[in-house]
Amino acid sequence: MAPLPPCDGEPRVSPLPEPLRREIEDFLYLEARLADESRYEEWEALVADDMQYWVPRGRADYDPADRLSYINDNRARLATRIRQLKTGLRHAQTPPSPMRRMVSNIEILAVDHEAGVYTVGSNFVLYELAVQAGAALRVWPGRVTHRLRRVEGRLRMSRKVVELVTAEAPQWNMAFLI
Amino acid sequence: MTGRYAALVREDRVHGSLYTDPRIFVEEMDRIFRRGWVFLGHESEIAAPGDWVVRPIGLESVILVRDREGRIQVLANRCAHRGNRLCWKERGHDSRFQCIYHGWTFGLDGSLRAVSHKAGFDRDRADMPLDRAGQVGSHRGFIFANMSGDAGPLADHLGVGGRDLIERLCDLSPTGNIHFGAGWIGHRIESNWKMWPESDSDGYHLDFVHASMLRAVPDNYYDETVIGGESKNVSRAIDHGGGVSELDLRPSYRRELAWLGTTRDKIASYCAALEARHGKERADRLLWDGPPHGFIFPNLFLGEGNVARVDPVDVGTVLHVHTALQLEGVDQVLNRRLVRQSEAGLGPASFIVPDDAIIAERMQIGFQGLQPPLNGGDNGPGWIDLSRGRARESRADDGTRVGHVSDETTNRAFWRHYRHVMESRA
Repeated sequence: MAPLPPCDGEPRVSPLPEPLRREIEDFLYLEARLADESRYEEWEALVADDMQYWVPRGRADYDPADRLSYINDNRARLATRIRQLKTGLRHAQTPPSPMRRMVSNIEILAVDHEAGVYTVGSNFVLYELAVQAGAALRVWPGRVTHRLRRVEGRLRMSRKVVELVTAEAPQWNMAFLI
Repeated sequence: MTGRYAALVREDRVHGSLYTDPRIFVEEMDRIFRRGWVFLGHESEIAAPGDWVVRPIGLESVILVRDREGRIQVLANRCAHRGNRLCWKERGHDSRFQCIYHGWTFGLDGSLRAVSHKAGFDRDRADMPLDRAGQVGSHRGFIFANMSGDAGPLADHLGVGGRDLIERLCDLSPTGNIHFGAGWIGHRIESNWKMWPESDSDGYHLDFVHASMLRAVPDNYYDETVIGGESKNVSRAIDHGGGVSELDLRPSYRRELAWLGTTRDKIASYCAALEARHGKERADRLLWDGPPHGFIFPNLFLGEGNVARVDPVDVGTVLHVHTALQLEGVDQVLNRRLVRQSEAGLGPASFIVPDDAIIAERMQIGFQGLQPPLNGGDNGPGWIDLSRGRARESRADDGTRVGHVSDETTNRAFWRHYRHVMESRA
């Protein structure tokens, strides 16, 4: 495997053993599919206790504590988000939007083998059919940075940061799991 | 044309074509958004000379800038030469504006300072400043402008009710000043802009539209303020006149600081600072009352801990753009709490407004294809009923109308003023 280019000042990472890289990629694809299919409980089972789910307004170059973001969920607020979706009364996702996203350009950005923590960057394009009102096909391109951590032998996500290509512009309803 | 809007906007009903007729939208952009006062932003966003932000007034882009003398200028974002857009970022800090088409340079006050290759230019530079708003005004830091210059005093536009709403919000700060440092979040919605002055001030829809939020967030205070049954609920819907409306939740709060979801001991320094400024009695009152919930015609929503603009895009598209209330002179922990509350309530991924957005988009679909009733009659399809609570609302000597929180008093407040503006500026 060719060495990875440096990215955003992250340290250069030595190539991972192929089974581990495969495991990480599989996690990303599973996480994407469960979100696409609005399988809220199964998606939430992939989340670690210290989760931060952040969709910044613009680039992820600010402290979300002090400025508004589209989403800045800690674990408790993410649980509320899932709970709301599961009521069946969340009109903005009733019925849930049919969605599919392509995940690509997967790069391992940082590794802490001892702690079992991996920072992974990927690009995505999400197609959403906004069936709740006008049934417009909406396209959501962006980049995700996952922080994955091994919890009792399984990979879990403890951070998901979604930088939308359109993050500076006003957004349509984003009540699904992005 | 006189009488057209009187035919479509009645005391107890309005016609659905008002949301979908593109000719009406064009007239609104002129009569309401060009010739009337429009909310733009806050002085804290352009604190220092040279600070600027770009904002819309109706469909026009303007630059909101503090000039060298510290004055607020509202300039057309359009070069006086050939019309190229001067500022294409959201905000910045500059000593001048230079057009990159032919290099013309304008001062922060909009005056034309320099023309490149000036030998061939034989006009007087003094005759070619940037277009500008005809009137600019601010109240407790809230900046308003209108392009035409004949909208009358800002104080009259806001009225006693509008000024009081803004003052109650700012008085929550121990310095009397709030700021907009948390930034803006834009929410794009496929509905006519008028559904937002309606929805933002509607006290009747909470337990239906927001049922999922009410179940998912058990410790909210809405049960005591706007749901909780018609008989026991004592919150009020108020028409202050002039298109200013309010959902007055204060009578329903059962404890102080319910609006902030905290208790006095956890924010002791804030409470002490508030008391130092206002005295104990007023400070106690403010801690109980919290920020108001009101709407100021045509585009300013004071949504408890949020401030939002309603920016029309076209007849069927609107931006609902909000920021979080931020208090000057408090521990940042408190402002961070306000940012988190704002993220929960407003914006495209929040727990509340996306559900309102779906209702607005479905209404917009429902009104497609409607034609105004023939001969100004009120028969035929497409009328929207806004009669709720007319019989039980009270009317004070100053014209203020007060109803039950679930009554459509606030919606009638918007439409009554809309009709007045659209008819009187015909």
